[in-house]
Amino acid sequence: MTLSPPSRGPRRGRRAPATRIWTWFMVPGTLWMTAFLIASLVLVAVLAVGTTDSLGNPRFGFDLSSVRALTDPAYSHVLLRSLGYSLLTCVICLLIAYPVAYTIALHGGRFKNAMIAAIVVPFFANYLVRMYGWSVVLSDDGPLLRALRSIGLADSGTKVLNTGTGVVAGLVYGFVVFMIIPLYAALERLDVSLIEAGRDLYGGPLRTFLFVTLPATRQGAAAGLVLVFLPAMGDFVSAQLMGGPDQIMIGNLIQDKFFQGQNWPLGSALTMMLMLVLLIGMLGYLRRTRKDEAEARG
Amino acid sequence: MTLLRTPAPTDATPAEPGRTRLRRRRGRADRKPRVALAVTALFFALLYLPIAVVVLFSFNTIKSLTVFDGFGLRWYRAFLHDEVLINSLGTSLKISLVAMAGSVLLGTALALGLVRCRTRLGSVAGLIMLVPLITPEIVTGVASMLLFKGLGVTLSTGTVMISEITFSISYVTVILRSRVAALNPEVEEAAMDLGATRWQAVRLVTLPALLPAVLACSVLIFALVFDDFVLAYFTTGVDPQPLSVRIYSAIRFGVQPTINAVGTLMLAGSIGLIALALFIPRLFGRRGGLDLLSGK
Amino acid sequence: MSPEVPPPSRRTVLRAGACGLLSAAGASLSGCGFMPAKKPDERDLAPVRARVDGDLVYFNWADFVDPSVFKGFEKEYGVKVIQSNFDSMEGMVAKLNAGNRYDIVFPTAKWAQRLVRGGRLRRIDHSELANSHAVFGKHSYFADPWYDPGSAHTVPFTAYKTGIGWRRDRIGDLTGSWKDLWSDRARGKVFLLDDRDEVLGMGALHLGLDVSTADPGDLDRVTASLATLRPRLRGFSSDSYNNLLNGNALMTQAWSGDMAAMLNQAKDPSVFGFQAPKEGTPINSDCYAIPYNARHPGTAMLFIDYMLRPENVKKNIEYIGYPMPVSGSEEIYRALVKPFPECVVTEDDLKADLFFRNGSRAQEDARDTAWTHVKAG
Repeated sequence: MTLSPPSRGPRRGRRAPATRIWTWFMVPGTLWMTAFLIASLVLVAVLAVGTTDSLGNPRFGFDLSSVRALTDPAYSHVLLRSLGYSLLTCVICLLIAYPVAYTIALHGGRFKNAMIAAIVVPFFANYLVRMYGWSVVLSDDGPLLRALRSIGLADSGTKVLNTGTGVVAGLVYGFVVFMIIPLYAALERLDVSLIEAGRDLYGGPLRTFLFVTLPATRQGAAAGLVLVFLPAMGDFVSAQLMGGPDQIMIGNLIQDKFFQGQNWPLGSALTMMLMLVLLIGMLGYLRRTRKDEAEARG
Repeated sequence: MTLLRTPAPTDATPAEPGRTRLRRRRGRADRKPRVALAVTALFFALLYLPIAVVVLFSFNTIKSLTVFDGFGLRWYRAFLHDEVLINSLGTSLKISLVAMAGSVLLGTALALGLVRCRTRLGSVAGLIMLVPLITPEIVTGVASMLLFKGLGVTLSTGTVMISEITFSISYVTVILRSRVAALNPEVEEAAMDLGATRWQAVRLVTLPALLPAVLACSVLIFALVFDDFVLAYFTTGVDPQPLSVRIYSAIRFGVQPTINAVGTLMLAGSIGLIALALFIPRLFGRRGGLDLLSGK
Repeated sequence: MSPEVPPPSRRTVLRAGACGLLSAAGASLSGCGFMPAKKPDERDLAPVRARVDGDLVYFNWADFVDPSVFKGFEKEYGVKVIQSNFDSMEGMVAKLNAGNRYDIVFPTAKWAQRLVRGGRLRRIDHSELANSHAVFGKHSYFADPWYDPGSAHTVPFTAYKTGIGWRRDRIGDLTGSWKDLWSDRARGKVFLLDDRDEVLGMGALHLGLDVSTADPGDLDRVTASLATLRPRLRGFSSDSYNNLLNGNALMTQAWSGDMAAMLNQAKDPSVFGFQAPKEGTPINSDCYAIPYNARHPGTAMLFIDYMLRPENVKKNIEYIGYPMPVSGSEEIYRALVKPFPECVVTEDDLKADLFFRNGSRAQEDARDTAWTHVKAG
């Protein structure tokens, strides 16, 4: 029964009681979001065809030069790189998070809560400070490379900082918790008797894992993937602190256009391009989960 | 929408059987998966290495963040004498508290409405609420700045609060929605059968049932807002700047170890809070307080 | 979608979009065109007397004034300093454009010129500043600089140049040329500043072109030549100081002041070197400026004067490592940068005039595109 989220909410066929009061509950939040979020995003879209004056003040207008500038292969190149890094980050996060969540949920015993707390605590130290600390760890004379050198896994020329590996390591460090928590939640509510049944049915632990545990946590993994992928696509700190000349990401470009380049229309156009890519990805995800849920409901 | 529902680890199984389940599991799970254990150990080591570096260098006697010279409290003293940093810390606390209160209020109401009200407005609201989740923060930040400029609003601590609320409402709503959905509306109706008005029923029955999840959400939002620098960077005005913005302005050119000292203090503070959350319920004979974090 | 909400129909999506459009229209209408900038009138631009008229709202790079100087100022005048920081000139101007009202800001020469031309700065009456003679009397260059004729709106704060910092202990001596960056000795451990003008300027000087060139042919040559540097490059970073200290960089483009600041921390300065390459070194100057919409320009005047007092100049020079064009401080700076004599900015350096200059919108866009290509590869 725990294989799928049970369908909740008012039972079908029941008279939906007093819709009006619930409508009023929604009004303030919805108005707030419309006024401050949707309106501002529409402004970004409008500005993508605007211009700027000499002090960098944006002006409304209809000028397609920013949109045309996006055809410059440099941008699609960076976008593809960002996609690549983000996907790689997702995969690595999954590979790390699964065993960690599994260990804690199924073998954590009475330290379960303490271990989850231990994962959450570092995230209360400032994100930037943590990333800066991570960049020190990854530096040439930092503890990680020194340890690897001493056991012969790296030589004096090996570097992590200012490489693609460094950026992905930064993204993973920054966002892996978003993968662990949903996976942990899914594993935690996994009924152990299911695993036992699996053992009886399939025999080996590996087959049990593949046919019982893994499918049961698919939705947790999917949620984790989205939660890691989205911030990774927008991140610019990792590439700034841990990237080299060939690692800048779309977030860095957007930030550059808005500040260094003072080219807000171009920044807006880049922003719209990024959101379009994410939207396509999200729609794919939503479709997929909707289908899952439909199947689960039977 | 299932995006964040799955993480709330709570709804499927009733809360209590955990204990018996656990005991049975222990019997069976003696063969620990060694690979998973090794990965977990390595993960924790790497997770804490940078933190250790930050803490270590906060006690450095020289300005370097890479060469450790000796152990001293120089940077803590520097922090105590640095009014700018202290003001920034105060601003950050203020922003986090207001943003927490505002977004939890609006988000909880929205979650209740979204679950109980199945009208077209409901699905429009549901869609709008998803937007921040697919919008990279830098976009939200830039967009808010553009909006405030367009409206002629002077940037200030207030505008930071507004953007942080906007950004946080979705998280509150998404997390609480599954909790609200798990509540049985019949209890409310029973209360009304007993003579309560609809509003009384919500206030006396529904809200108390949501309280633990709301508290958990508040902690999460507080931490997220306190940590955020992207939104704050774009929307802060001439008031004392939030701490994270101060750190970001410095990080491009190399931070001073005072920042490490602040980071260490923040870490110590949050460990204290989490320890409280873990142990206080135990004093009252309740089950582990992390329920708070996981929204139970 | 979740079971509670009926899947959105196309109409719902449209309606959500309409909501957004309406509210955006409302937003832009109420603003009457985008970002209404109040045109400053003569009263906003006229010089004011140096007297306390409120707390000081200060906007500068992070860690760019000795904290004890703030303390002294607060104590002496009974005001508070409310500090914010920016991480780039563009970030600073974006905040000014957004209508934030600062009392004192610190633009570089090029940005000072833009702000002066845009009518964004209040004039400064030098006779109101008791210590201004130490600047304008001795350093004739700043009495009438190119970016602000007669220094009518600005007072110079620091002057510095951009050169190459390197690890002498690891790669020995350099030849005094920008070409050193291309040498294979530091291959893979070379950093450039994360700054458009500095990187393009270096590329141009190395090829013997104008430091602020925006000519498409020139820019193509610059980007092509910088492309040959890429295999040797480790990254773009403005944290030269830590990069050299921790050995991640063997050679880096660096601001003279940061190198001087590093001397405080290095146990043995002789392992480092700093050179101002012979093809020309970009020169720059930060200045004090008071925005037209400052609420407390009088306090800002007092602050400038306070900063120019000899004892405070000394404190700041030692704290940030950047020289200040204030007479009497030259020897202090020379002593500070003894291991790096090329950090000193002389009158001749200023006259060589390798400042970054403003271009037209199209020229700035061309440089911007070139920078994107350099950075994105």
